[in-house]
Order: sequence, then C-alpha cells, then structure tokens
Amino acid sequence: MPSLLLVVLLVEVAVHFVNTIGAATINNILWNIYLALPTEAAKQAAEKNKLQKDYLAIRRDLNATSSQDQFAKWAKLRRQHDKQLEQLEKLKASHDASKAKFDRTAGIIRWSATSGVKFVLPWIYGTEPMFWLPSGWFPYYVEWILSFPRAPLGSISIVSWQTACAGAVLLFSDAIRQVILSALEAKSARKQPVTATPKKEPTPVSTAEKSEKKS
Amino acid sequence: MSAAVLSADDDVFEPTLQSILDQKTLRWIFVGGKGGVGKTTTSCSLAIQLAKVRRSVLLISTDPAHNLSDAFSQKFGKEARLVDGFTNLSAMEIDPNGSIQDLLAGQGEESDAMGGMGGMMQDLAFAIPGIDEAMSFAEVLKQVKSLSYEVIIFDTAPTGHTLRFLQFPSVLEKALAKVSQLSSQYGPLLNGFLGSGGQLPNGQNLNEMMEKLEGLRQTISEVNAQFKDENLTTFVCVCIAEFLSLYETERMIQELGGYGIDTHCIVVNQLLFPRQGSNCEQCNARRKMQKKYLDQIEELYDEFNVVRMPLLTEEVRGKERLEKFSDMLIHPYTPPE
Repeated sequence: MPSLLLVVLLVEVAVHFVNTIGAATINNILWNIYLALPTEAAKQAAEKNKLQKDYLAIRRDLNATSSQDQFAKWAKLRRQHDKQLEQLEKLKASHDASKAKFDRTAGIIRWSATSGVKFVLPWIYGTEPMFWLPSGWFPYYVEWILSFPRAPLGSISIVSWQTACAGAVLLFSDAIRQVILSALEAKSARKQPVTATPKKEPTPVSTAEKSEKKS
Repeated sequence: MSAAVLSADDDVFEPTLQSILDQKTLRWIFVGGKGGVGKTTTSCSLAIQLAKVRRSVLLISTDPAHNLSDAFSQKFGKEARLVDGFTNLSAMEIDPNGSIQDLLAGQGEESDAMGGMGGMMQDLAFAIPGIDEAMSFAEVLKQVKSLSYEVIIFDTAPTGHTLRFLQFPSVLEKALAKVSQLSSQYGPLLNGFLGSGGQLPNGQNLNEMMEKLEGLRQTISEVNAQFKDENLTTFVCVCIAEFLSLYETERMIQELGGYGIDTHCIVVNQLLFPRQGSNCEQCNARRKMQKKYLDQIEELYDEFNVVRMPLLTEEVRGKERLEKFSDMLIHPYTPPE
C-alpha cells in the first residue's frame, strides 16, 4: 500500500504545518482570499471600508469646525457623523458575524482534513500491514510493538508508521528552521561589520544535513 | 435689521405656532428645553391660545420644580383644576417621584409589615432606572384618559429628564414583557409553593399582581403608539439664542427623531430688540450674539416653525400678561423702531 504510506505522511506534514503556523493565521489568510473573490461578503467589506473612509473624513471636518461660530454647519456634520457611525456599527457587526461563521466553517473543514483524518485512518486501516519486516531481523517484542495495536505480527502497523512520520516531520522542520535562522543571522551579521566572515552559511547547513541523515 | 430677520422665512414655514392650533388631531403636546429658557411660560401661553380654539385643554407639569402655580398665581395640585378666568383650561402638577411611593404603599396596605416579597418587589421596582417617572406617567395617563380633554399639554422637566421620560414607554414595555413571560413560565411552580391561592407572605396575590403589571404594560404600549403618531403628538422645543441652549436643542431634536416623536416647532425665547440708536452697551452686544445664533438656527432648522419671542421688561405672570405674551406665539412680534 504505497499510497496509504504517502497519505499518512502527508497528513502528518499538514498537521505539523497547521500547528506551526497557527490556526488563526490560516483562517485569516483564507478569509482574505475569500474576500478577494467576488462574493457577497467581499462586496460588504468593500462597502464597509468605503464608509469608514467617509466617516473619518467627516470626523476630521467635524473636529475642524467650531461649534460656536458655525453652529449650523457643525450640527449638520454632526448629524451625518452620527448617522454614519450607526451604519458603520451595523455593518461592522454583520461583517464580524459573517467572519465568525466563516471561521467556524473553515475550522471544521481544516480539522477534519488534518486531525480528523489522522484519527480516522488508524481506525479504518488498523488491521492492515503498512509493509512487512524481513522475518527474523528483529526480536519478538520489537515486532509486537511495531505491529501494535491490531496489525499482524511481523508487519508495521499504521499507528507505528504515523509515529515515525510525525517524528521525521518534526526533525525535518527543526532542521529547516535552524537553517533559515542561521541564514538570517549571517545576513544581519554581514550587514553590520565588514570584519565578519563572508562565508558563514555552510557550517549550519552541514549540521542540518547531519540531522537530516539521522532522521 | 431685526424686522428683516423676522420676515426672512415667511414662505412655507411661518414663524408662528399657528400650525399647532390648526392641527385638530393633536392630542399630546410636549414643551421642553433646557432649564430657565421659559418652558413654563411658553406652555402656559400655548395652552391659553389652544383654549381659544379647542373644547377643553389640560396643562400638566411634570417638572419637580413646579412653576405652573407661579405662572398663574394660583395653587394647583395632583387633581386637574380649572384655571381662574377660563372655562375650558385646567392645570395640574404631578410629582414624578411622589407617586410611585403612593402606588407601592397602596399595594401593601392590607398588611402592616412590608416584609418578604413585598419589600423585594419594592426594591426591584426602584431598581429599574426611571420606573418611578414611568409609573407616575402611567397613572397620569390613566387619569387623563378617564377625563375627556381634547388636548393635553405637558410642561416637562429640563432636557435630560424629558428624554428619559419619553423613553420609558419602550423601556418599561420591554422589562414588563420579560416579567410577564417569566411569570407565565414559573407561575405554576410558584403557585405550588405558595398554595392554591397564590398568596404572597404579605397578603398580596401573585396572579393579581401579574395581572396588574400586564395591565400597566398594555396602557404603556398604547401610549407609546400614540406618542409615535405625528397626528396625535408633537414636541415644541423651547430655547434661547445661546450656544448651550442650541446645542441641547439639536441633541434633543435628534433624540426625538430616534424615538420617532414628531417635532416641527422651535420657540426662541428671550430675544433682545434694543431700540434703534440705543446706547445700552450690554443690550447691543447681546443682540449681536443672539443674531449670530438666530442666523444659525434659520440655516439649520429650515423645515421648522421657528417662533421668535422677545425678552420683556416685566415678568410674565398672571392671566393678563400671559395672554398678551401668548398672542406673540401666533402673531409675530414686531420690535418698535
């Protein structure tokens, strides 16, 4: 079952991805994409932004007008100001409501596509071997653990495969983060003094490669 | 120059309160504004003018600092009383704070101790903001309904008070709707505790009380509907040509619009018209300032009947002076040259 192996790996990658970036960030990105599409919500958001701009302009005018010297003008501005504020608040409320709804939907979809799949897969394919170990290479207790909980003895169960994938993904991501961090560090170090050694990147990369090999 | 100002908007919205006299459907007229601008004088004057063209007029003061007695030099009380020298104009003064105490005291009088549930209900009643005024309001309206006056003029308390007062019907209606709903849901449960008669510890009856509340709610919602009908109700704003008064008036007009209460009349009171060539320094300076605000009013309230009333050299008290003053609400004042 090579496709199942791959699926489990991809799911682990996705879960890890979501956990690192954060659910809120992903929701925000999705929300912005959603707003860029020609939907009802996007129209509403554009309207809200326009109104907000108008409102701020009126408020500036209002603050610039003396209520004692130009009462009529001031009062008229004030009426507009109050009316727009009310509208804006209403729009904001509906906007917030639609965002909350979107967030909820996106959250459900995201969870079922990642964590949900992660829980469901072992449940469905619990009894299927991922692949077989060469017989006799490992002692009985190792085979028993690797086939835990329901796969036939002498094979790798889906749970064991998931655990291995999760570990590998974690190691990889740590390695990648380390590389990026040190690259950034080197860049900033190069900017500051001229005395800094120009070739600093290779060292961290080699350590990262080592850790990759280990995984 | 002042004559020019007076005849400036003579086109559609004439500068008099004639429109109120002509609008025969009007039943409730509120007169309100900041303290000290002449609300009482205006409401008395308006009442006098209305008495000439209507069958019967009632003037009610809801201001705790009652001035009706002062204005007419006659003592008024909680009961409507004819004003001396009129056959169809009555007046009464109600105390918004007094009547709730009366009301609650009246409820619990069968038992001597206001303990237990009665005390709780009283606390509860006092806890709702503005309920005292609303209750007294409801009481008054009940009275007024039984008496058949063609038009009722309210001389209201200064601005902030007025607005709250007008808001009550909606506030109270909401609160009472909740209470009624609760009682219908938990009534059976409570009755289980209290026995089949539904007797409360201090001799009150739960169902009776709920019925009373429900009745109050109905009265109030009816009144609410009437106040929002521009054929039945209008609000006359009284102000003076000064910044703060104008500011309050604008705020009041906006809020009244929010409550759906019609208003199309503004009385600008206490205007100075110094004689041509007068060398009274204060008068001329004040006139100039008032002129500035008058122009602003004209620009801002172009869809209102703006009535300009002069500041007199005498106090407007007593029937004759009020009648003379009230005439200027209908026939615009022309300052002496």
